[in-house]
Amino acid sequence: MSTDLELLQGTLDLLVLKTLTWGPMHGYAVARWIRETTNDELHVEEGALYTALHRMEKRAWIAADWGVSENNRKARYYRLTAAGRRQLLGKSAAFERYAQAVFRILRTA
Amino acid sequence: MTMSPDSPRRPPRARLFGIDRTSAGVERAVDEELRFHFDMTMRELMASGMNPEDARREAERRFGDVGLVRDRLAHIDRQRVGQEKRAEWWSGLAQDIRYAIRGMLLQPGFATVIVIALALGIGANATMFGIVDRLLFRPPAFLIAPERTHHLYFQRVVDGKVFTGISAQYQRFLDISESATTTEVIGAFSTRRVAVGVGEDTRELTLGAMSSSLWKMFNARPVLGRFFAAGEDKDIGGAHVVVLSHGYWLSKYAGSDSVLGKTMQIGAATYTVIGVAPRGFAATQLLTPSAFIPIGVSAAEDFGEMWKRYRTTYNITWLEIFARSKEGVTVEAMTADLTNAYRRSWEKQITVQPRTAPLTIAQPRVAVYPVFEERGPEPSADTKVAKWLFGVAVVVLLIACANVGNLLLGRALRRHREIAVRLALGVSRARLARQLLTESLLLAVIGAAAGLFVAQWGGQLLRATLMPQVEWDSAIADPRVLTFATLTALVAGLLAGLAPIFQSRRTDVAAALKAGAREGYSHRSLLRTSLLVMQAALSVILLVGAGLFVRSLQGVSAVDPGYDVDRLVWVEPRLRGAQLDSVRLKALQTSFVERAKQQPGVENATLALTVPFSQTYADDVFLPGADSASKVGETIQQGASTSYFATTGTRIVRGRAFTDEDRAGAPLVVIVSELMARALWPNQDAIGQCVKMSERTGPCRTVVGIAENTKFGNFGDDWNYVFYLPEAQLGTNHYTLFVRTRGNASESVDAVRRALQPLMPGAGYVTAKSMDALVSPSMRSWQLGATMFATFGGLALLLAALGLYGVIAHSVAQRTHEMGVRVALGARTSDVAGLVIRESVRIVSVGIALGIGGSLVASRWLAPLLFEVSPRDPMVLLAVIFTLMSVSLLASWLPAVRASRVDPAESLRAE
Repeated sequence: MSTDLELLQGTLDLLVLKTLTWGPMHGYAVARWIRETTNDELHVEEGALYTALHRMEKRAWIAADWGVSENNRKARYYRLTAAGRRQLLGKSAAFERYAQAVFRILRTA
Repeated sequence: MTMSPDSPRRPPRARLFGIDRTSAGVERAVDEELRFHFDMTMRELMASGMNPEDARREAERRFGDVGLVRDRLAHIDRQRVGQEKRAEWWSGLAQDIRYAIRGMLLQPGFATVIVIALALGIGANATMFGIVDRLLFRPPAFLIAPERTHHLYFQRVVDGKVFTGISAQYQRFLDISESATTTEVIGAFSTRRVAVGVGEDTRELTLGAMSSSLWKMFNARPVLGRFFAAGEDKDIGGAHVVVLSHGYWLSKYAGSDSVLGKTMQIGAATYTVIGVAPRGFAATQLLTPSAFIPIGVSAAEDFGEMWKRYRTTYNITWLEIFARSKEGVTVEAMTADLTNAYRRSWEKQITVQPRTAPLTIAQPRVAVYPVFEERGPEPSADTKVAKWLFGVAVVVLLIACANVGNLLLGRALRRHREIAVRLALGVSRARLARQLLTESLLLAVIGAAAGLFVAQWGGQLLRATLMPQVEWDSAIADPRVLTFATLTALVAGLLAGLAPIFQSRRTDVAAALKAGAREGYSHRSLLRTSLLVMQAALSVILLVGAGLFVRSLQGVSAVDPGYDVDRLVWVEPRLRGAQLDSVRLKALQTSFVERAKQQPGVENATLALTVPFSQTYADDVFLPGADSASKVGETIQQGASTSYFATTGTRIVRGRAFTDEDRAGAPLVVIVSELMARALWPNQDAIGQCVKMSERTGPCRTVVGIAENTKFGNFGDDWNYVFYLPEAQLGTNHYTLFVRTRGNASESVDAVRRALQPLMPGAGYVTAKSMDALVSPSMRSWQLGATMFATFGGLALLLAALGLYGVIAHSVAQRTHEMGVRVALGARTSDVAGLVIRESVRIVSVGIALGIGGSLVASRWLAPLLFEVSPRDPMVLLAVIFTLMSVSLLASWLPAVRASRVDPAESLRAE
């Protein structure tokens, strides 16, 4: 675990949307997925993660249904909608351009 | 990277858990989601060896501020749920509309009948609203602050009675303008018919004479030039300037800019055009005057020599006064202030004219009313009838709604099983009600659209009849009429939708599903019957109204006014400022009579002073020994040539008519009307009696004849007291001419005018009108009432008949099985038919009874508008009952025939 990376605005949305491309998940699973995939480097505060989930649900980028978890508990499952998929494509392309631009400056300096 | 063990498993559909979309439900859901999250986190942490307390602390550290996040999530979710509800409402509405349209397309005939019924109802209302709105509700165009602008009425006590007058003196206007303190603007206005133009081009036009202050009451800008300024309206030092109305500018000058500075001959003077008023500007009037002229300047022209006397005295009332109060001044305060100003002016009047009644007796007071005269204390009969017709239109709409409600209800009954099935499938009753309502509202909106066409088309017709001289703007473009029609449609849709909704609430799902299709809904609906009864009752009320007006019209038409209306032309010579001495005037008048008599189409001609429905000369009558005979009432004086009675057709009942012997210098004679003879000499022979005119000391005039009674005023009024004097023995010079034509007078009007015009000296001209044109406006309110009540009543009857037919036919269709059984058991076809007809007659009879009761109550208020007809006229009531009964027989005839042809074998085998 090295330096903490502060999450850029909008980046959390992007991560959540990307995570949900794997299939419907409940909030806990999304949090765990992001933590494990980034080796806990991003330090996503879970409260912020849930806020992002609900905000995107309101925008209809993701939809939520109640389902039954693997240990037979009632859980809220989120899945990507068509609108969410479009958002993901647009946002990840924009993020890549942004990151490359930043890298170019960092390398030349 | 490991795959999360508990994610990719397709969750079951959410609805199985149910979604609670209340605020509390949203919070519960958030709590549940978070609890799951914490349970899972702790379980994972404890699995890796943490004790529960540490695990809980770690989970909370990872999460952040739990309370804050929880509130934020709940807030977001509440917003989302709100969005969803709105979206669902709209998509539900779209679905309902699609469903309703599909229903209409499936039964186009059904929908058409409903739309037509609503279109007629709404159209009738929109039309009447447009008229009543224009007459009563809409302030004059361009008027600033209508709520603060008032029409002044002047009250004073004469002989112990309060007399209210609209018209005031020029000097009064100046006095009040000077001393009132609560007003922003005080303006004066007066209309007059004046000859405009020169030679052959001369036309008599209505002009508005106004004070320059009156322009300040409007925020109208001249489309060309300017309006007249303060000072220009004064009789001394004023200017001969004229502002054209927009319409006159277009028609006379083709809207040309070069009109400014042109001169116009108005009356005896020349005016210069200085401006053009904007389109629609009519000052305070309903009818747009052709042009506007300064009031003092024009008065000096109009009154000629007399003006010198009238401008400073209070002898002649001829203008109307309008005032706008200052902001924040109450109506009471303004009235008090104006009354004060009026009293001060009254004191001034006493100093000028000492014979004026003192303040303590006259008690002068100002009363304020809305700007339009029709909303003042004395609206015209036309306006009263228009108000009634608006009420009638509302009744027609009610009938249309009842009818549509009944049709929709009928269909709801036919769809009884469908509705039951949908209820059983879990469609909520509220949802079902909304759907039925959507359907009726949609029909109403389509009906309103069609109704606006009815209003446009019928409105033009009606308005041309009702108020022919008013410049109406087109109905459809009018936002107020549109708003009204929309609101009416909504109300109609709600009313019409109520019945089927009410019915759907009563649907018993289990019973309806158990019963077979035939049994669907066989017992008659009380609601449907009540709606029919209501329609019949309302139709009765309207038809009674129609009958009363028709009888009034008959009565008025049958009145013999005591002269031959159809054969008379009234000719008025207008000298237009030419000054003729009495000898030349006399010669001119004589030559008029002679020239008129020479015309081929003319039988006779006479001079006359009093003109029926137009101008009456009243004079006091005295009997020797008695104080005054004027207590009998107003006595009208008619100056007459020897040919008068032969010309007008007024019969001499006793004694003789005037002869050439009754000339100046010969013994003075008079002829009195029967009514007057009886009033003055109750138990004596009037012939040979002595009468004095004007003053007690005057010479005796001997009664030589008694003429039949005449009506010179309204037909609804009593006979007039009239006395006739030979013009040769009478000094007055303001004679006009009656011409008796051989054929119908209205066809000869123009020929008479052309024949006499060349006799006029200078710029003088002649106007001619048929007597019929003078008389008929006073009959118009009855004509209007009769036509409109009959039209609306007929409409109502048609709707009621359709509704009746629909219900009876439906009932017969439902009872086919029962009829079959009856026939099979030996009932004759006439028995079966009678069964159906009796049902219809029963419904209509109840309606008639209610309707007659209602009309007896309502007609008490109608009575003042009727002419010599009792509001309980038995003829009218009987005719209406007969009509309704015939209609009920007609409406049930076809269903009865169908019922009597039921083939028992077939109907019993069915199903």
